[in-house]
Amino acid sequence: MSSPAEQQQERISIGLIEYLSRHTLDEDYEQIARNRPGRRSTWLATAAMMATLALFGVLVFTAASQTTRNASTAEHDRTTLIDQVNARRASVQERNDRIRALRKENDQLDTDLLAGGQSGSGVFERVRRLSVLTGAVTVKGQGVRVVVDDAPNATSDRNKVLDSDLQKLVNGLWEAGAEAISINGQRLTNLSAIRQAGLAINVDYRPLTAPYTVLAIGNPNTLPSRFAETTHGATWFDLQKQVGLRFDMKTDRSLVLPAADELSLRYATRAKEESR
Amino acid sequence: MIAAIGLVVGIILGLLLTPDVPTWLEPYLPIAVVAALDAVFGALRAFLDGIFNDKVFVISFVSNVVIAALIVFLGDKLGVGAQLSTGVVVVLGIRIFSNVAAIRRHIFHA
Repeated sequence: MSSPAEQQQERISIGLIEYLSRHTLDEDYEQIARNRPGRRSTWLATAAMMATLALFGVLVFTAASQTTRNASTAEHDRTTLIDQVNARRASVQERNDRIRALRKENDQLDTDLLAGGQSGSGVFERVRRLSVLTGAVTVKGQGVRVVVDDAPNATSDRNKVLDSDLQKLVNGLWEAGAEAISINGQRLTNLSAIRQAGLAINVDYRPLTAPYTVLAIGNPNTLPSRFAETTHGATWFDLQKQVGLRFDMKTDRSLVLPAADELSLRYATRAKEESR
Repeated sequence: MIAAIGLVVGIILGLLLTPDVPTWLEPYLPIAVVAALDAVFGALRAFLDGIFNDKVFVISFVSNVVIAALIVFLGDKLGVGAQLSTGVVVVLGIRIFSNVAAIRRHIFHA
């Protein structure tokens, strides 16, 4: 074999990978074979070799079993998580159903109570009319359908629809005489909040995504023109022109707006009634 | 022959004991196995070349395993553990491939 100096030279001249693939065998084997040919191995060395090979066997087996075990643990964790998610989702669904059922029952009881009382029917009529305004019941009627969306190829927040834009649109519609409004199927009540949360706009704590379809029930003949006269309407036409937000208002002969999901007063509670 | 017995004994031992690898040792085990594979294939080739020496094998095996694990450990401490393991695996892989090629030439004369 070549001298160390020549080896060094070779390593430099042929590059690392080439050198590696040429010198794959430990050089000690050759060296010992050259220096001490025909030497018998001692039993101690043989025992050490056997021990080493046994160690190799243990090593390979352990690594393999460890990998399999880890894989099965990860898989198990994943399925457990999925199960938990599904269970929670089912329980949320169940509770929502229960809320809906209870509300229906409440409404029924209210109706019965009011209809049964002597002075009830007048109150009942008032409650019915009020619940149209407050968003407690599903309503239908003629009005306008407004579709707003981010500017095409929107990059920054400047040419996207923000919560404040939606607030202005809704306030403008109220001002123009709308009697009921919903955004993407979320009915707005007098306590509804329109807020940005991350990328989505939350309406009544439900995240909505663009495009936003705003349905407003009102006089279809006057609603668009009166909206255009409000400050918020003017702001929106500016936005449309300057930043390129999409704004589309069409009248519609029959709109159906769903009831609001949540009707809760945060502070006010009912004062005690004098018994009838 | 003796070597095969040693290997079988090792695998049976592993099967019976199923040693639990401590967590801190876990990342170094695969690298150690690859390094050990390299030493074993080198030994097999030397055996077929007729220049096998058990002492050299034991030393090369132990030093291979220890150095490979050490390099990865050092890489982990320096924050380049993944890259260094890749490097070690590439180098050992090249060695294993050419050793196996030499063994194949011995066995099939092709």
